[in-house]
Amino acid sequence: MFARVTSVALVGVDPRPVQVEVHVTNGRSVFAIVGLPDTAVREAKERVRAAFGSSGLRFPAGRVVVNLSPADLPKAGSAYDLPIALGLAAAIDRRHGPTTDVVALGELGLDGTLRPVRGGFGAALVGRRLGRRVLLPMEAAAEAGGLEGAEVFGTPTLRAALDAANGWQVPEPPGAPDDLPQGPDLAEVRGQLAARRALEVAGAGGHHILMSGPPGVGKTLLARCLPSLLPPLPSLELLEVALAWTAAGLPRLCRLDPPFRSPHHSATLPALIGGGSGVPVPGEVTLAHRGVLFLDELGEFPTPLLDALRQPIEDGRVVVARKGSTVTFPSEIQLVAATNPCPCGFHDDGEVPCVCASRAIDRYRARLSGPLLDRFDIRIRMNRVDHRLLSGPPGEPSGTIRTRVVAARKRQMARGGVNAKLERGAIDALDWTDSAVRLLDAAAESNRLSPRGWDRVRRVAVTIADLGESAVITDGHVGEALAYRVQ
Amino acid sequence: MTISGDTPLEDRLADDEVLGWRLQLAYAGLHPDATAVLLDAHGPEGAVARVRAARSGNTRAAEAAAIPAVARVEELAELGVAVRFRGGPGYPPHLGELPGAPDVLFVLGLWPTGPTVAVVGTRRCTAYGRNLAAAYGHTIADAGWVLVSGLARGIDGAAHRGTVAASGKGAAVLGCGLDVAYPREHASLRDELLALGGAVVSEYPPGTPPEAWRFPPRNRIISGSAQAVVVVEAAVRGGALITASLALEQGVPVFATPGDVGKPAAAGCNLLIRDGAHPVLDPADLIAELELILGPVARRVAGPADQFPWEGITIDDLARSQGTSVADAAATLARAETAGAVARNGDRYYPTLGKSR
Repeated sequence: MFARVTSVALVGVDPRPVQVEVHVTNGRSVFAIVGLPDTAVREAKERVRAAFGSSGLRFPAGRVVVNLSPADLPKAGSAYDLPIALGLAAAIDRRHGPTTDVVALGELGLDGTLRPVRGGFGAALVGRRLGRRVLLPMEAAAEAGGLEGAEVFGTPTLRAALDAANGWQVPEPPGAPDDLPQGPDLAEVRGQLAARRALEVAGAGGHHILMSGPPGVGKTLLARCLPSLLPPLPSLELLEVALAWTAAGLPRLCRLDPPFRSPHHSATLPALIGGGSGVPVPGEVTLAHRGVLFLDELGEFPTPLLDALRQPIEDGRVVVARKGSTVTFPSEIQLVAATNPCPCGFHDDGEVPCVCASRAIDRYRARLSGPLLDRFDIRIRMNRVDHRLLSGPPGEPSGTIRTRVVAARKRQMARGGVNAKLERGAIDALDWTDSAVRLLDAAAESNRLSPRGWDRVRRVAVTIADLGESAVITDGHVGEALAYRVQ
Repeated sequence: MTISGDTPLEDRLADDEVLGWRLQLAYAGLHPDATAVLLDAHGPEGAVARVRAARSGNTRAAEAAAIPAVARVEELAELGVAVRFRGGPGYPPHLGELPGAPDVLFVLGLWPTGPTVAVVGTRRCTAYGRNLAAAYGHTIADAGWVLVSGLARGIDGAAHRGTVAASGKGAAVLGCGLDVAYPREHASLRDELLALGGAVVSEYPPGTPPEAWRFPPRNRIISGSAQAVVVVEAAVRGGALITASLALEQGVPVFATPGDVGKPAAAGCNLLIRDGAHPVLDPADLIAELELILGPVARRVAGPADQFPWEGITIDDLARSQGTSVADAAATLARAETAGAVARNGDRYYPTLGKSR
């Protein structure tokens, strides 16, 4: 009396099939679960036993052993209740029991209802790969809706799941989930011409951008507009984003705009980069994968958080090491940060005097200086906009700018990658005019550029040339790039 | 750091024992007013005796005054600090004639000779004030004059930086001992000042900490050693206005730059103008005014309007006023900055004032 049902475990954001094997023999009444289960999985025994009774099924007398395989994969949470119950039902009644040719995931209530769990989208992907029907609680099925080629069913109770597995009463497949509202449009930003332009260049070349300026000048609004300028996500990247979001228990994003995340500076380290107790959960950098991570009030972030961000930014992935296993989360992000120039916000303002003690300014800056600051190719300084411009006509809408960004990205892809990440040789090989090289040399000599700064300015200049659809990089392009590099 | 031909301090002390008493009194680190009163009433030797006797009052001063002057020679030599006595060689010429001038000055470097202008202002200045102070410092150096200020944060430091940028000579008067780096962020500025042949002076002995009450008295050294005092930005209360009123007492003309009515950092200057200080505008105007006092300047200084007509312009402003694209405006300003014609402060660009062509 044996049955096997497929379920899913998330390793990082990656769904892996897990076999739930149920074996029932005569003997003393025992119910054991083996195969590296955590406490929540072990408690499945009581939930399954109660749900069986509530659903009008007889729990078998005798020895019941459940094995979760592969055994070396840590399994956590209550999501294996449903596959265990299905396997048990099939094992005790081979003729009239449910088919085990399904992928199932779900938590059981004592009354036999199915409760939502994380990982529904991952289960749908595994089901699609194996060519099997996927049984999920209603809420988990909703996030997997609209996935082409997957046969996903949401069931409210264990009873309904048993029926669905047998094909007796197949429930409606879920529709695509509703989308979250779009971010703001750049047309809402009045004035700030230089900042708008810098944001466009950042978007086009994948450059990290830092905006500094007094409070209330529109740094946050501008940052929120960035996803609307970026190229829409291709389907493969959309899938990666959906995996990351659903692995964190968030609704799956269906819109094509890249995701936008803005963690608060009081966030904890695991919340920001991933990890946490038990099975590691993706952090904000992974939720911003293929999108924008916005750090508002960068100067307020504690140094350990900022230091921890360096690896994800550089490598495009987060490695969370655990005893016996490491988990990798994706984190291909574009970093946008905003900061006040000093604690009061008015340092170097043309009109309002700064009231900060100079030591406080030094402390504030010291936190930003060094390796992190180096990673921002574009650093702009913003200031208050004349109130007459605020009531003026709206700026250029995001859609128009996105067209230019997409065209510029196309030129970069032909070269082998976005300018921010292209290898150095490819930048050297481009067509630089003599005057452009002279201007770069002059800037380097006037001590305004470090060697790394020199390289980054060149990349921004290439992006500016791409936006201008120019095959050669002129001193005009270099000059503009230099202007977007405030110390 | 001794001047060639300068008699070593040890020999001078051996020659004239009164100098020893004067140095010993300076080491007591009393408030300058107290030192002056004691000297007037009791003479150097009597004053030292008084300080040593006043155990109930300030034991630190009493202990410091008890150490014989000869014992200080080695310490001063190690620090490179020269001691200048009022009325003796190396003491700032004009200062010594004024009542209440310090009896002893500790000097690093050489006090530069020549017409001297003081530029002072608030520590809590705006970027505008900082730029203007730097421009004044630059023009004064270009004119071949000496700039004297207090090496404080804000206006003082900016003025010194302007002088250093023009490779000019300047003197900084501290309110603490010469071996105390205060403010700390101006340590390198002070070294540059010395490297260019300037001086850093204090009436307080080495080791004196920067205590608030020590700063107002040092302002009389700034104003007293200058032939003109320029106040760039000043609040209604603060060291800059103290310097200005001391200058008026000493008969030194005071100049002030007008500012917005209602802007706290400009209120002090506006008050000075109302009370009769000469208003000055851009650096060229300052030079024209100062020429009347200090004599004509050989080198002509280009006014800012000749080079770059837009004071405090942003990329947005340039694009809007010239009708060009933001990209072109940004490139224009960045090119001008690389060429050294403008300097950026925050998001605003300023002409690098006072640079002679």
